[in-house]
Amino acid sequence: MAGDGAGEVAALACRDLTIRFGDVTALSGVTLSLAPGRIHAVCGQNGAGKTSFARACAGLIAPSAGAIAIAGQKLTAGNSAAARAAGVQLVHQSFALPPSFTIAEAMEFGLTGRAGAIFTRRGLRARWAGHLLALGVDAKPSARIRDLPVETQQAVEIARALAGEARVLILDEPTAVLAPGAAEALFLRLRRLRDGGVTILIILHKIREVLAVADTVTVLRGGTLVAGPEEASAVTAEGLARAIIGAGAAAPEAQEDLAALVGAAMPHGTAHRPASTAKAVMTLAGVTTRKGPDGQHLDDIDLTVGAGEILGIAGVEGNGQRPLVEAIAGLVALARGSVTLDGAAITTAPLAERRRRGLRIIPFERNTEGLSLSSPLWENFSARTLLEGSALALIDPAKLRREARAAFATWDVRFATVDHPARSLSGGNAQKVILSREVDDAARLIVLAQPTRGLDLGATAFVWHAMRQARARGLGLILISSDLDELFDISDRVIVLQGGRVAGQFAPPYDLGAVGRAMVGAHP
Amino acid sequence: MRGRLLAVGRAVAFVALALVLCGAIFEAAGFSAPDMFASILDGAFLSDGALLHDMRWACPLFISATGVVIAFRCGYFNVGTQGQFYLGAIGGATAVALLPGLPAILVIIAALAMGMLFGALWAFWPGWLRIRSGTDEVITTLMGNFIAVLLLVWVTSGPLKDPSGSGQVTASPPVPPAFRISNDGGVSPIILGITVAVGIAAWVLVNRTAFGVLGGLAGRNPVMVTWQGARLSRLGLGAFMLSGGTAGLAGAMEVLGPDGRLVSGFSPAHGFTAVLVGLVANLSISGSVIVALFFGGLASASLYLPVIAGLPSAAIDMINAAIALFITSRAWPSRFRFRRVAR
Repeated sequence: MAGDGAGEVAALACRDLTIRFGDVTALSGVTLSLAPGRIHAVCGQNGAGKTSFARACAGLIAPSAGAIAIAGQKLTAGNSAAARAAGVQLVHQSFALPPSFTIAEAMEFGLTGRAGAIFTRRGLRARWAGHLLALGVDAKPSARIRDLPVETQQAVEIARALAGEARVLILDEPTAVLAPGAAEALFLRLRRLRDGGVTILIILHKIREVLAVADTVTVLRGGTLVAGPEEASAVTAEGLARAIIGAGAAAPEAQEDLAALVGAAMPHGTAHRPASTAKAVMTLAGVTTRKGPDGQHLDDIDLTVGAGEILGIAGVEGNGQRPLVEAIAGLVALARGSVTLDGAAITTAPLAERRRRGLRIIPFERNTEGLSLSSPLWENFSARTLLEGSALALIDPAKLRREARAAFATWDVRFATVDHPARSLSGGNAQKVILSREVDDAARLIVLAQPTRGLDLGATAFVWHAMRQARARGLGLILISSDLDELFDISDRVIVLQGGRVAGQFAPPYDLGAVGRAMVGAHP
Repeated sequence: MRGRLLAVGRAVAFVALALVLCGAIFEAAGFSAPDMFASILDGAFLSDGALLHDMRWACPLFISATGVVIAFRCGYFNVGTQGQFYLGAIGGATAVALLPGLPAILVIIAALAMGMLFGALWAFWPGWLRIRSGTDEVITTLMGNFIAVLLLVWVTSGPLKDPSGSGQVTASPPVPPAFRISNDGGVSPIILGITVAVGIAAWVLVNRTAFGVLGGLAGRNPVMVTWQGARLSRLGLGAFMLSGGTAGLAGAMEVLGPDGRLVSGFSPAHGFTAVLVGLVANLSISGSVIVALFFGGLASASLYLPVIAGLPSAAIDMINAAIALFITSRAWPSRFRFRRVAR
């Protein structure tokens, strides 16, 4: 196992792999050879080409040039069936299992892709129960996918990938959706699979996780191979961070941000000032909601955000974050409790009135809740101001376009024209459009739900900078994030949500262990 | 600008494709396609007075189409234009029957208003069901059409029956000449004036008010505008009722105008053609002007075909249907809202 793979046939090898999308080169000339039976980490920033690489290996993208070989056999380019036949399985970043299926159904039809064959529920359950058990998936085969916690969904996804003769398992950022404890469990699972002979290619962007799980490390930057595969034991966190970010990127005052961005070390959250005693911008008192369709609810939530304060909300996803944002927005009815914004009771006020009073929201789903992708950029930008007036008020589209252009320029949005649909923007630019709309002079309290998810380093740093600026202007901010590094780096205070309740409140310097325990409900 | 040109080009291309398809069918059925198209062209656009005849059909089509554009832009597929048009006609005839002694101007205004109200109410209940409980408005508005047809039969053979009628067609008594807004030709200054006014109002509403922009956003992504603080119930019901109101106005105008009475089963294709006008115009009010004239031309040609060329007037229905086929096949997936609840 300690060999460098020179003598044996590589499980996965590629030569001069190049992938272009139009004018954009996602991957250029990558030559790489991965030894069988090991865990190989591929890391890099967003946009480094990691996902394109994974998708090409799984046959989902036809490379523009170069070749991929699985166990010495050349793979037909861009043919996912051929890749599956060769034993390559990809577990996507966002899960591909149909939520309404039972586990057994998802296993059966995910594997065969066959439709129309006659089956019985009992037969399916019998067929897959053993497989799931062998892989340590702790769920009934008759459970529906949508009812499973996220880590079980992922385990099912992996089990589905392994249902065939999988020899190479590719996981695209599997930890992005997991709590710290669940990531550990995943790594354990992967090690067991490796010991069973499966070659694992895992895409990660947190250095801490890379060093925890990988046997070898490969770094991509800007679509080119920077280093690797190198033995993980010979790699240091600092060296890896440098390889990922590239030289000359680290401005001195951004050191801590950079560290948080790559998760190289736990920053100690040197908060800009002690928890402020400034007046409260928003207060939630005893807020309780009924269980929503996703099973989440709030149970007696008390929280206060002061002017010039960033309140971080930590928690495993699905523990009340969405109802919290909906309760603040007034999009869900409260069973009990009251909400106050800037001293005014708004418990029953509709969202339009809350927004008039200075509430701003950057919702969880950028592409559905934050933007209308098929609508022009200026309409997306103007929606908030238009809703403040009467629906029958006459408008001047030329003026609204000018306002949008001016705001986009201030926020450094890269766009062609404001008449282009929002879908023409990259994730980072799309988030800047939302920021430009939500962070205005009249804002008093901004709720940011997963504002940096899926953004690259530059865009993430931009969002953090915008948050700090808003704090400096005396706004209250609520940051909901599943990225503890992010929360610890920027929050003045962190509250942990668990099962819809406040499971703990923490001040810097943050103790990862204590926060993690609160997240999984082990906190007293 | 380029996008708009592209949309126009696409609409023209689809109409041309539909005509080619129909030509092939005509040929296969033993007719001469060139003759057929020549007589349609002649009847619709080239012969003496053709434009006037076109206008007779184009004006009501355009008025109903503005409502289609408003509802569809907001993401509500109100295909109940036909039923709302009939209810409007019933409303207009009812007003005339109830207010025989008043001055003409008041009766006309009351009849048109009543038509709008009836049409709006016929769009209200599907809208309310849609917003309250998510009932698919395509189904409810479509079913509303059938109910409206039967209502019209009942009204014309019951409460508003013409006692001197021959029994061959069920119809209301003729509208007194003083209350008519046009002769049987169907084109008059009043009708043109109302059509232009509706067109301007609809254009301003769609392009120059907050309602227009927010409705467009809601039509493409209702979740996003909800998070911006919009109340979909108000926006949506407004769109439904405006849409029904315009169709109702067109219906009342038919009764006071060219028809001169409420006839059971009149203009049976009006609503669907109006939906088609809106779709071919890519949900643009200004585009609907041109498209309504085109379809108005086809409608007027259908009356001439049997006379001039000995051809079945159903040929026009075929052309309409073929255009509908092509337009909807490209329009539904791309342009309209995805009905997904984001969770």
